[in-house]
Amino acid sequence: MNRIGHLDADCFYVSCERVRHGCLRGQAVGVLSNQGACVIAKSYELKARGVTTGMPIWDALPLCPEAIFIKRDFEWYEVLSRRIRDVTDRYSPTIEFYSIDEMFFDAGTMDDADAKHLQESILRETGVPVSVGISRSKTLAKLASSSGKPFGCTVAVERAAIDKLLFHRPVEKITGIARRSAKKLLGYGIHTCDEFVRADRRLIRRLLTKCGEDLWWELSGTAVLPIQTTRAAHKNLSRGGSLGIATADPDRLTGWVARNAERLVEALDYHQVNCSVLAMSLEFKAGGAASWRLSLPSMTADFSLINEGGLKLLDKCWQPGIVVSYMHLIAQDLSARQFAQHSLFDTPSPRQRVLAEVKRKINDRIGRFALRSGATLPLKDLYADSTCSYDICDIYGKTCF
Amino acid sequence: MCQAIALPIDELPEETVQMHKRRIFLRQPAVTREIRFYFRDAQPVIPAWIDSQLSILPWGNASKVSRLPCTGWCRQEDLESGLWQHLHPILIEIPATLGLEKNVWYLIPEGGLRGIIVRDERRQPRVYLVTQPASHYYEIMTRHNRMPLFVGRQM
Repeated sequence: MNRIGHLDADCFYVSCERVRHGCLRGQAVGVLSNQGACVIAKSYELKARGVTTGMPIWDALPLCPEAIFIKRDFEWYEVLSRRIRDVTDRYSPTIEFYSIDEMFFDAGTMDDADAKHLQESILRETGVPVSVGISRSKTLAKLASSSGKPFGCTVAVERAAIDKLLFHRPVEKITGIARRSAKKLLGYGIHTCDEFVRADRRLIRRLLTKCGEDLWWELSGTAVLPIQTTRAAHKNLSRGGSLGIATADPDRLTGWVARNAERLVEALDYHQVNCSVLAMSLEFKAGGAASWRLSLPSMTADFSLINEGGLKLLDKCWQPGIVVSYMHLIAQDLSARQFAQHSLFDTPSPRQRVLAEVKRKINDRIGRFALRSGATLPLKDLYADSTCSYDICDIYGKTCF
Repeated sequence: MCQAIALPIDELPEETVQMHKRRIFLRQPAVTREIRFYFRDAQPVIPAWIDSQLSILPWGNASKVSRLPCTGWCRQEDLESGLWQHLHPILIEIPATLGLEKNVWYLIPEGGLRGIIVRDERRQPRVYLVTQPASHYYEIMTRHNRMPLFVGRQM
């Protein structure tokens, strides 16, 4: 029977920062979001003081005045994430890059000693501590790794070990069971993982649909969720987020459209897809939101068309004077370029295609956004900060989202 | 603006650490001790690299012992426009791992901070930290609209 493993880095962002800043070891450390407002990751020392993920810094400070705060740097975190993957690759032929700090892998016949060896190799070669779990299914392996944190190594393959893992563990600890699902289960007296597994499978199916039933099989020791070595094709691709400095300045908003369009084109190029529908959603500082979508003239990944579409959408979604705080640009109706059907009226023109290719080559060589649309000039404060150029969505290949 | 800086004690020579023992702090038990330099100290000092030598020099002129500006900071815009020209400022680097602003300790990007060294009427050197308009990130984090000029990557 093949075993499945799960590894989960401990306080990943903080651990990554500790790799390059040794003085942070043992300290209460919080990693802040791009806007400097919220704690998006914390060390165990900061957690012990009551600071939670998502807490604004001004709420965290009174709880831990000696905490050290750091700006997030996803580019660095990806470097270490890939290094962890490289080490794991030596132990397993099959790896699922689940998220930036978690991986599933085919654990073969790995035992406690092998799991420990993997864990120690990762720490030695990357500097990042991870917790490892090995069991009969992905869901059990994930539960096993989290049960041993920090720097835990849990092998739960035999029935007795699995039962011990599930005993009295709240159902919310299962990935895939959130508050609403837990509430439904509570209505039938199911509070814990062992109660979940003892429940009638058909009841679970009725309450939580097929996804819940899959979890029931998984927790019972039957692996039904495969290790996905590649991510399923995206249905949509989206780029954008907080504007940082909320604005009603039309030049800045135009700049944001161009920035999000450039990032979207990058994503379309990476996935080798075109889109024929573009959507925009805005959130306003005073509250409320607006969204609109339009069809593009053709299936495309061309910046000029997407940018032009974005500007038309901005016109629909936004009224002058209204302060915008969030913007998302979404490419929909994606299709693989290899299946693209050409027409006599293909846009963009060959000249535009050549220019786009030159731009791509320059940016690949010199750095992201080294060459970018002039419309982004009003955002020079943003581009002056290199960490703003890289976000979690720029780390490709993750299967969780 | 940066009201204080800190660095691990192993980044300073032993004799310097001994001379400034009262500035040593321990943030958490069983971790590296750090040495802190506060502008609010009675006689504030700050480390500075001058001609590849590390020196601990008076920080600004808060106690008004000289005719130099009674502050610890110098605006980059003022420096560039020549307002400090008569003092013949020399740009220097200030080693710092952590900065403090409005009770927020933050990690300083690698390289430290930029400062200037000027001499008072008695030819005594004094260091002023160079500041710039705060980035949006810094302003939200610290609620201050000016930040130090970083040697390395800007925050």
